[in-house]
Amino acid sequence: MNDERDPAPPAGSRRLSGSPAEGDVLLEVEALSKSYGPVRAIQSLTLDVRAGEVHAVCGHNGAGKSTLVKALVGLVRPDEGTIRFGGEELSLRNPQDAQAHGIALVNQELSLVPELSVEDNIFLGGIDVPLLYRRRSLSERARRTLDELGLEHVSLNAAVESLAIGERQLVEIARLLVREARLLILDEPTATLSKPEIERVFRATRELVAQGRSVIFVSHRLDEVFDLCQRVTVLRDGRVAGTHTIGEIDRRSLIDLMLGEMEGAAAARLHVSEPAQSGGEAVRIEGLDVPGRVDGFSLTLERGIITGLAGQVGSGTSTVLRALGGLVPDSSGAVEVMGRPARLNTPRRALQGGILYMPNDRQREGLFLGQAVESNLTVARLRRLSRLGVVVRRRSLRVARELATMVGVDVGRLGSPVSSLSGGNQQKVLLGRALQLKGVVLLALDEPTRGVDVGGRADIHELVREAARGGTAVIFSSTELDEVLDLADVVVTMFAGRIVSVIPRAKASAASVLADMTTSQPRDGEVQQ
Amino acid sequence: MSAGAGGALRRLGDRRRYRLADTALAAWIGTLTVLTVYGAVTTTGFMTVSNVKAILTAASFVGIIAVGLTLIVLSGNLFSLALGQTVAVTAMFFLYSLQWGLGPAIVMTLLLGLAIGAVQGFAVGAWGANPIIITIGAAGLMEGLAVWLSHGQSIVPPVSATSYERLAQPLFGVPFAIFVFLALTVVVEVAMRRTRFGRQIYLLGENRVSARAAALPITLLTTAAFALASLFTAGAGVLIGATSQNASLLLTGSYTYDAIAAALVGGNAVTGGKGSVLRTAAGAIFIATISDMLLLRGYSTGGQILVRGIIVVVVVVLMNLRERSR
Amino acid sequence: MSALRISKARAVGVSRIVPYAILAVMIATMVLLPVVTSYTLRTAYVYDILQNFSSYGLVALALGITIMAGEFDLSVSSMYLLGGMVAVLTGNGSPLAGVLAALGAAVIVGCVQGGLISYFRLNSMPVTLGGYLVVLGLTYILGHSKSVIYENYDVGLRLDEPIAQVFSIRSLITLGIFVLAALALRYLRVGRDIRSIGGDRRAARVAGVRVDRLLVFVFIMSAIGAALPGALLSYSLATASPTNIGFDVLTFSATAALLGGVSLSGGRGSPVGIAAGVLSLSVLQEILSIVRSPDYVSSLITGGLLVAVTILWAPDISRWFKTTRVATAHYR
Repeated sequence: MNDERDPAPPAGSRRLSGSPAEGDVLLEVEALSKSYGPVRAIQSLTLDVRAGEVHAVCGHNGAGKSTLVKALVGLVRPDEGTIRFGGEELSLRNPQDAQAHGIALVNQELSLVPELSVEDNIFLGGIDVPLLYRRRSLSERARRTLDELGLEHVSLNAAVESLAIGERQLVEIARLLVREARLLILDEPTATLSKPEIERVFRATRELVAQGRSVIFVSHRLDEVFDLCQRVTVLRDGRVAGTHTIGEIDRRSLIDLMLGEMEGAAAARLHVSEPAQSGGEAVRIEGLDVPGRVDGFSLTLERGIITGLAGQVGSGTSTVLRALGGLVPDSSGAVEVMGRPARLNTPRRALQGGILYMPNDRQREGLFLGQAVESNLTVARLRRLSRLGVVVRRRSLRVARELATMVGVDVGRLGSPVSSLSGGNQQKVLLGRALQLKGVVLLALDEPTRGVDVGGRADIHELVREAARGGTAVIFSSTELDEVLDLADVVVTMFAGRIVSVIPRAKASAASVLADMTTSQPRDGEVQQ
Repeated sequence: MSAGAGGALRRLGDRRRYRLADTALAAWIGTLTVLTVYGAVTTTGFMTVSNVKAILTAASFVGIIAVGLTLIVLSGNLFSLALGQTVAVTAMFFLYSLQWGLGPAIVMTLLLGLAIGAVQGFAVGAWGANPIIITIGAAGLMEGLAVWLSHGQSIVPPVSATSYERLAQPLFGVPFAIFVFLALTVVVEVAMRRTRFGRQIYLLGENRVSARAAALPITLLTTAAFALASLFTAGAGVLIGATSQNASLLLTGSYTYDAIAAALVGGNAVTGGKGSVLRTAAGAIFIATISDMLLLRGYSTGGQILVRGIIVVVVVVLMNLRERSR
Repeated sequence: MSALRISKARAVGVSRIVPYAILAVMIATMVLLPVVTSYTLRTAYVYDILQNFSSYGLVALALGITIMAGEFDLSVSSMYLLGGMVAVLTGNGSPLAGVLAALGAAVIVGCVQGGLISYFRLNSMPVTLGGYLVVLGLTYILGHSKSVIYENYDVGLRLDEPIAQVFSIRSLITLGIFVLAALALRYLRVGRDIRSIGGDRRAARVAGVRVDRLLVFVFIMSAIGAALPGALLSYSLATASPTNIGFDVLTFSATAALLGGVSLSGGRGSPVGIAAGVLSLSVLQEILSIVRSPDYVSSLITGGLLVAVTILWAPDISRWFKTTRVATAHYR
């Protein structure tokens, strides 16, 4: 039925010859399992994708989507289970291997070189590209592929850096098509795109499946799932919670499938925490704009109140916090801290104004990995620990010891480099750096528990609550529903750069927040202005 | 070549690679020690007081410059290629300004050095300009200015001024420059460990992106690192000018590379954040020792430069392996 | 109340024209010079410019391509001297054999440096600095710390003999290599791949470019680009010397490459642009020598240009202007 040895079809043919007829199963995943140490990322996962189908994979963070994707493109070797593709059982060693078989991944980190032209990028790194690579036949092939993807207006000679992000994504897809990909995995493709760009990607996707190729569409955005896909598989806690044909399932039941038991658990936790006391207005944000990322963000933050910004990657939550932290020179708008206008053009200015930003990427932008724990804990308060420019050892050690004890990092490790700590402890050091700083009115915590296990997460949440009880205003971003529901007093959901809703925690439910995080429809009634 | 040692090392597990890199480093240090001791014992005239003084004197000029350069290395800005020219320019200025007295001459020369470095550091710190290219350009500018202002003549001190000679005279039988070098090493080492500035330099060198997010004063720190490097180099310029009593661009010599070689051979991480002034000082003394030994054994200039280059390359490779295996 | 102000990112398309604009200004200055001085335009000046061009042009080309690939090679300045030394020492019988020997030395140096840098993933600055010292040391040793005379004077005369009044064999060789490099970088895969590893090395690796092999190639080419003009110049001067310490060659070629539109952040640049950069500096030197200006003026202008171009290309400069403008905007 499927002969792998068939010669590759000429690109641009309306139908792929040698590929299975529409409706036949192209990819079969059976009983796939993968553990990282004691953590079972996916467990006996079974899934099939038909030829000519857009198959959605949904599930909220930690459900196992990314592990599944990595296994399919050879970035991760599964512990058990089989992957059959076009009837042949695959054992993939690396992404090149997967590509040779016709499986290709497009994720947010594109592998295009911005300085090169569109054509050069399409053929970059291809094995069958001849030495004298500027051939008319190749150019024509690239042109045809771009046209199929709806990029008729893009010149082959345009530099990729001059294209919009959505167009770049399509160029990346074009490269994979030229390399004869039969199954494309689009991992959160729309997170950073504008509306017309999303439309363009969708049109291209539909065209691809019309040719008999298949697409796995990994997304949080339920509207898009309903708009584009034929079937949807929901993952929860590393298992398949169900596979459904789109026509047979509605939004509400899809959200329920994703949530499972969570609603009850989160509700139970709510009763434990007592309602927070507002200590008056701390920071007022009005009309914060970041071109292409955040649109008219207005919010008032109060002392002692923890505000959670819920939104998927690319929704603008992180950008809002970075702008508050002085790291986005492009931003505009007005911010008042304790009634005084703040200039947020550099992190130093932001800190002087009373806003401390804690980055989400602790390895790249947060910590100083090779430096001692003590150095890392005291970096933001060196001035107060020194006299005439000399760091007073005793004072510095005492403060570092206090902070380490407070966040639960071994005091005996103060002299070791931070890189020797576990991920969870590294995150605690990063948070410790931000705690008990005089003059800080607002803590802006960007994904405060990224990559931290459950126990560490609870500890960090308690520390944040403690800081809020001390009268600091806190705003944090998270892509994880249960974190938002667990920690926030006020839940703000964002979608595509705009606020969707602002709800007190008592009135928020997992389903309503998830619905707001995944929709493009602002619920005007609930937005406080 | 494709299946070279690098590939082999990369395939090994982390722990084994760590041991291998450490063993290689230990073997290297051992080899160098054995060679040095062997050379010391068998080279006639090496183990004499006067020769040890000669080594330390040679090490001290380069060492003073290299200690300053270390601040640039630690701050994560690679190195400066303008230090040799800074030596020449400041030495010329020092001899010229002696007409206003020794004290003012020293102060003004040091201020000139400070300013030269600060300008370069500002371009690097505030705008992220490439430190290597900026300093190459600065070196060209300094050469041009020096020839222009001196009309291409070498500068000699005014006949009436003899006070500077004290700087060139030995103190307690030891050349003055050695005291300056050792004192500077100790002071800067302590300062880098103890002061806020020192800690911030290490943090900046470790991770510039984190430093920005953590609100460290990146522009100020970078400017200060280059300014201090240039200030110390001006100090060396004063001593060198006083010793040679005649200053022109010829004084540029090979100070730039010798200082960088000292910092690299001492085992400071080129990428910044790790290392110390003490290491650099050790590197400077080591290079001076090897050069002296080769000289006594009749090796040419070429041989000395060649050996220096090989040591630099091997140390850079070994330090990198060790760093990555951590 | 206003805290932050937008400033739209400006298009950088202008930067492509800069190299040619600078060249045009230089040529215009040269042509207009008779207005202010007593000199008249002569074809000999064009010949001189092309001779200047061929003395350092290939170094700028090689260094420029190295920068395009996201690396740097400090060893070109001593490789230039070694090329001359090897050629003079081995080329007494046959000048071609001398040049080939110089190129062979360059291939070895390039292989070692490129191999170390790519397989150990080292920063190219310290490695090529060590390489600079090693190569300089070798040059000293080969020349016994002295200048070496090339007995075969005729070779130099032949190389520099004017052809069609303005050219010489030396400048034709240089121009020819520039043309070949421009064609290769435009039409061969390798040109695209070099730009890709300088532009975004991770993306290039993911896309399947064989980065390590390419890096070795780049450093071999960089060493050859220094050794060849070094050898030819030594023939032309009938002497080779190890004592030209300093960054003269490096300063000239780095300035020319950056003036020629090569971006220090990698991935951008072209041989044609580099040629324009080298020509600009060559014309400048000719103007300075016509008006008999002292040497230091040339250092001043070259150094100043290098600093200016580096700052212009600096990655944080737009951020700096943005943040300072926002800061001052508030006070108004």
